[in-house]
Amino acid sequence: MSGSHHRHDGHDGHDGHPTFPVASRVSEFEILELAVRELAIEKGIFSAEDHRRFAEWADGVGPHGGSKLVAKAWNDPEFKRRLLENGTEACKEVGIDWLKPTGTGTPSDYTFFYVLENTPEVHNVIVCTLCSCYPRPVLGMSPDWYRTPSYRRRMVRRPREVLAEFGLHLPPEVEVRVHDSNQKSRFMVMPMRPEGTEGWSDEQLAEIVTRDTMIGVALPKAGRTSDEDVQAKAAWR
Amino acid sequence: MAKPKFDIGDEVRVRNQTSLFHTRTQKYTRGHVGVVSDHRPEWVIPEDEAFGRVEDGRKEPFYVVRFKQTDLWPDYTGFERDTLESEFSERWLEPARKEK
Repeated sequence: MSGSHHRHDGHDGHDGHPTFPVASRVSEFEILELAVRELAIEKGIFSAEDHRRFAEWADGVGPHGGSKLVAKAWNDPEFKRRLLENGTEACKEVGIDWLKPTGTGTPSDYTFFYVLENTPEVHNVIVCTLCSCYPRPVLGMSPDWYRTPSYRRRMVRRPREVLAEFGLHLPPEVEVRVHDSNQKSRFMVMPMRPEGTEGWSDEQLAEIVTRDTMIGVALPKAGRTSDEDVQAKAAWR
Repeated sequence: MAKPKFDIGDEVRVRNQTSLFHTRTQKYTRGHVGVVSDHRPEWVIPEDEAFGRVEDGRKEPFYVVRFKQTDLWPDYTGFERDTLESEFSERWLEPARKEK
């Protein structure tokens, strides 16, 4: 973001332009996190260094790991077989180790990873109605909407309507299969390879396998390369 | 590893029990009938793990159960063939026939 050259401390600017408060307010959740974190460090459950290392890892992961998995599977049937058979193991082939960086699995708990293959008959979509479980090592942090109660409660009971709100209309002959991540499994959708991508390299293919296509709320298309390429305008002035 | 009580393809009913302790069995599935579509490894049940019993907690087979959406929601607006999958520990499942 570019723009303001000087900062005010969370108050309206003297020149009449609103400024963005820097931590002038803290949510109860943030206070709770801080308190629990400090306690855990004090009790020796993890160290401040562990926390920093994890935060660095968490900030760095994104959906590119998942994109790589799908692209490689589209081009290599043998890899695809291994990926569907044992997701956690196959991830290592593209450099993703689910035990890292904590040594006991990703935060939220120890997990098993399953890749759900879309077919002409079945379209998979993921949701977690209990909290917001998500395959972070391969997809990064979940988008805000994935965590909203609205997505979570509506995806399990009105999946076709929610998908339509994302612009995805599936024909009646396709079975919509919702996966509620209520236990230790984490899921990722492997979309079908779209037309017009014949002969593409893994790298080219990975670019069109976006986050939303691996959640199952969108389909990859030759030419569309990001879920977040829309330039947003400020909602207020 | 205990032999799983239910086979893939078995019809099972999610027990309609009250949550006395932490569980990860969603309310919307309780009392409903689905089909076992896969086995999962044995895990410590959330009822124990939630209280820190990771080492000595009770381990049970887990199952993936596939429900027809029209069975879960009487007012389902999609199509007959739509489904939902979710996982359950063995204690939450019973044969579908018995309690009819």
